[in-house]
Amino acid sequence: MLAFKLAFKNIFGAGYRTILNIAVLSFAFVTIIFYNGVIDGWNQQARRDTIEWEIGQGQLWHPSYDPLDYFSYQDAHGPIPEGMREEVSAGRLTPILIAQASAFPQGRMQGVLLKGIPPGQAILKIPTHELEAQDGQVPALIGKRMAQSIKMKEDDRLLLRWRDKNGAFDALEVTIAGVFDCNVPTIDGGQVWLPLAQLQEMLGMPGEATLLVAGEGFTPTGNTGWAFKDHDYLLADLNKIIQSKKGGSGVIYGLLLIIALLAIFDTQVLAIFRRQKEIGTYIALGMTRWQVVGIFTVEGAAYSILAILLGALYGGPLLWYLGKVGWAMPSGSQDMGISIAEKIYPVYGAGLIITTVLLVVVSATIVSFLPARKIARLNPTDALKGKIQ
Amino acid sequence: MESIIQIKGLTKQFPVGAGKFTALRDISLEFHRGEFTGFVGPSGSGKTTLLNIIGSLDTPTEGEVTVLGRSIAHLTHKQSAQLRNQHLGFIFQTYNLFPVYTVYENVEFALLLQRLPTAERRKAVLDALEWVGLTDKMDSKPAQLSGGEGQRVAIARAMVKRPAILLADEPTANLDSKNSHHILQTMKQLNEELQTTFLFATHDEKVMGYLRRIISLEDGRVVKDEEIIMDKITEG
Ligand SMILES: Nc1ncnc2c1ncn2[C@@H]1O[C@H](COP(=O)(O)OP(=O)(O)O)[C@@H](O)[C@H]1O
Ligand SMILES: [Mg+2]
Repeated sequence: MLAFKLAFKNIFGAGYRTILNIAVLSFAFVTIIFYNGVIDGWNQQARRDTIEWEIGQGQLWHPSYDPLDYFSYQDAHGPIPEGMREEVSAGRLTPILIAQASAFPQGRMQGVLLKGIPPGQAILKIPTHELEAQDGQVPALIGKRMAQSIKMKEDDRLLLRWRDKNGAFDALEVTIAGVFDCNVPTIDGGQVWLPLAQLQEMLGMPGEATLLVAGEGFTPTGNTGWAFKDHDYLLADLNKIIQSKKGGSGVIYGLLLIIALLAIFDTQVLAIFRRQKEIGTYIALGMTRWQVVGIFTVEGAAYSILAILLGALYGGPLLWYLGKVGWAMPSGSQDMGISIAEKIYPVYGAGLIITTVLLVVVSATIVSFLPARKIARLNPTDALKGKIQ
Repeated sequence: MESIIQIKGLTKQFPVGAGKFTALRDISLEFHRGEFTGFVGPSGSGKTTLLNIIGSLDTPTEGEVTVLGRSIAHLTHKQSAQLRNQHLGFIFQTYNLFPVYTVYENVEFALLLQRLPTAERRKAVLDALEWVGLTDKMDSKPAQLSGGEGQRVAIARAMVKRPAILLADEPTANLDSKNSHHILQTMKQLNEELQTTFLFATHDEKVMGYLRRIISLEDGRVVKDEEIIMDKITEG
C-alpha cells in the first residue's frame, strides 16, 4: 500500500513525460477494446443472421449431402424420412431441396443452385410467402447480391434449365417475385429460391428433400440415416474466420501496445538513472532493495491504471457512441463468403474489458519491473553518490 | 556509558581497474551511547567510507564492525535494512529529501516503513518538526524551502524514529555559517535530550567546534583520536 501511495505521488510529480506515456497507453487500451468490440459485434451479428436465415436450430442432412462438393448435389436427395414427416407438417422442420441448374440472365449463361422451400415455412427469415403461386406464373426469390450480379429486379423473368432425375434437360421461365435483403452470402449469391413443390415436380422428385432445417422445439431423436448437424458444426467456419480476424487485428493493436510499453520502459530506465540518490536514500532509510524495486514497478503499473482511467474517460463515451451508430464496413468485405453487415455494431462484453484491463496492467507491470530489477543489484553507496553508469 | 559500536582491524578496499584501492586501513575504534564525534580529514581520507560501513550501507573487506551487537559483515540485506530503519539515522550533504512529498510526508516516511499506527506516527512527526522548528512549513514541498530549512527537514526525518545512532556526512557543506550553526545547535540539543550518538564526517571548522571527540583520518588511517574537554566555549 505504501508503494502505491508513493507511486502515485511520484507519477503526479513527474509531469510531462508521464502524461505522454499515459495518453499513448490509454489510446492502445481503447483501441484494443474497440477492435475486439467490432469483431465481437460482427461475430454476434453473423451468428444471429446465419441462424435466422440459413441454419435454424440445426439441420438434418441427407447422407450424401456435402455442401462443399457441388457434384454431390445430384445424389443428395431422398424422401423425407418417415419419422420426420410429422415434424415437418407441425412446422418444426423445414425441408429444402437443392439442385444444380443454369440460368440465362440477359442471354448469358450462369450456373446456379435451385433451392426449393415451402412457401409457408416460418423457421427461416427468408420471405418465402412471396413464393405463393400467383396467376399461373412460377415465382422465384433471389437475394440482393444475386439480383445485382444478374442485373434483375422484381417482376423480371429468368430462364432456368436443369436436368431432371433421369438426366433429361428441361427448361422453364420463372418470375422474380421478390428480392430479399440479408447478410448471409451462402443463401444469396448464385441461388434461386423456388416453391418446394415446384422444384420437386421439375426434378421429378416428389416428397424429397436434401436437408431439413430445424426450428425451435425440434429435438433430434431416432436414427433416420439423416445426420443432425448442430450449431457447433454449422458455425465452425464462421468461428474460424472470426478467430483469424482477431489474430489479424491483434497485430495492429499489438504494435500500438508495444509502442506504449516501450515508452514506459524508456521512462523507467531514465528514472532509475536520474533518481539514484533517491534510491540510495530509500535504502538508507531502511527499505530493502526489493522494496525499492517494488516502488518502481508499482510506479510503472500505476501508469497503466491511470491510462485505463483516462481511457475510460474519453473512450467510454466514444465507444458507446460507436456502438450506437455502428461502424461501416468497407464495401469489398461483402464478398468474404461469410455473413457481414454493411454496418457492424461493436459489442463490448465484460470479458473483453476485463481481459484488456488485465493485459494492459500486466504488460505495463512487466516492462516496469524489467529495468527496476537492476535496483536489487545496486550498491547503495554508489547510488547515494550518483555514480551508477 | 554503554559501548554501542566496536570496530576491530577494519580494512576496506575498492576494486579499481585490475587492482585494488585501500580506502581504510586497519582501523580499530569504539563508540559509546551519547557521543558527539566527528571524523575529520582531507577529502579522500575515508570519512564517508567509514560512515557508510557503520551505517551498514557497505561492508568491511577485513576486520569486524559491530553495531548495536550486530556484525555488519554478516547481516542479510533484510537485516541491515531493518537495522537502518529502526536504529540508524542518516543525514547527507545534499539533504536527499524526496521532492514530490511534503515536509510532513518526508518526515513521516521512515515511520511508514515501521508500520506505526497513524496517531502515534502523527505525534512523532509533529514532535520532530517542532525539534527543528519547522511546524509551520509542514505542508511545503522541499523545493519551496531554503537550504537551511531543507537540512532541518532531513534532521527531522532522521530523528523522528529516535535512532540510537545518527550518521551525518558533511551536513553543513552546502550551508552558510548562520544556518550551519543553527542545525549544529539543533543536533547538539537532540544529542543531549535523546542520548543519540552522533557521528559526523566533516572537514568544516564550524562543525569541529561542536564535537566532543575528534578522530582524524589520513589516507584511510586514524592518525589522531582526541576527547575535547568541556572548557570549550560553544559559539552561536
Ligand atoms: N566505490 C568506490 N570505488 C573506488 N574507490 C572509492 C569508492 N568509494 C570511495 N573510493 C575512494 O576511497 C577514498 C576515500 O573516499 P571517501 O570515503 O569518500 O573519502 P572522504 O569522504 O573522506 O572524502 C577516495 O580516494 C575515493 O576515491
Ligand atoms: Mg566524503
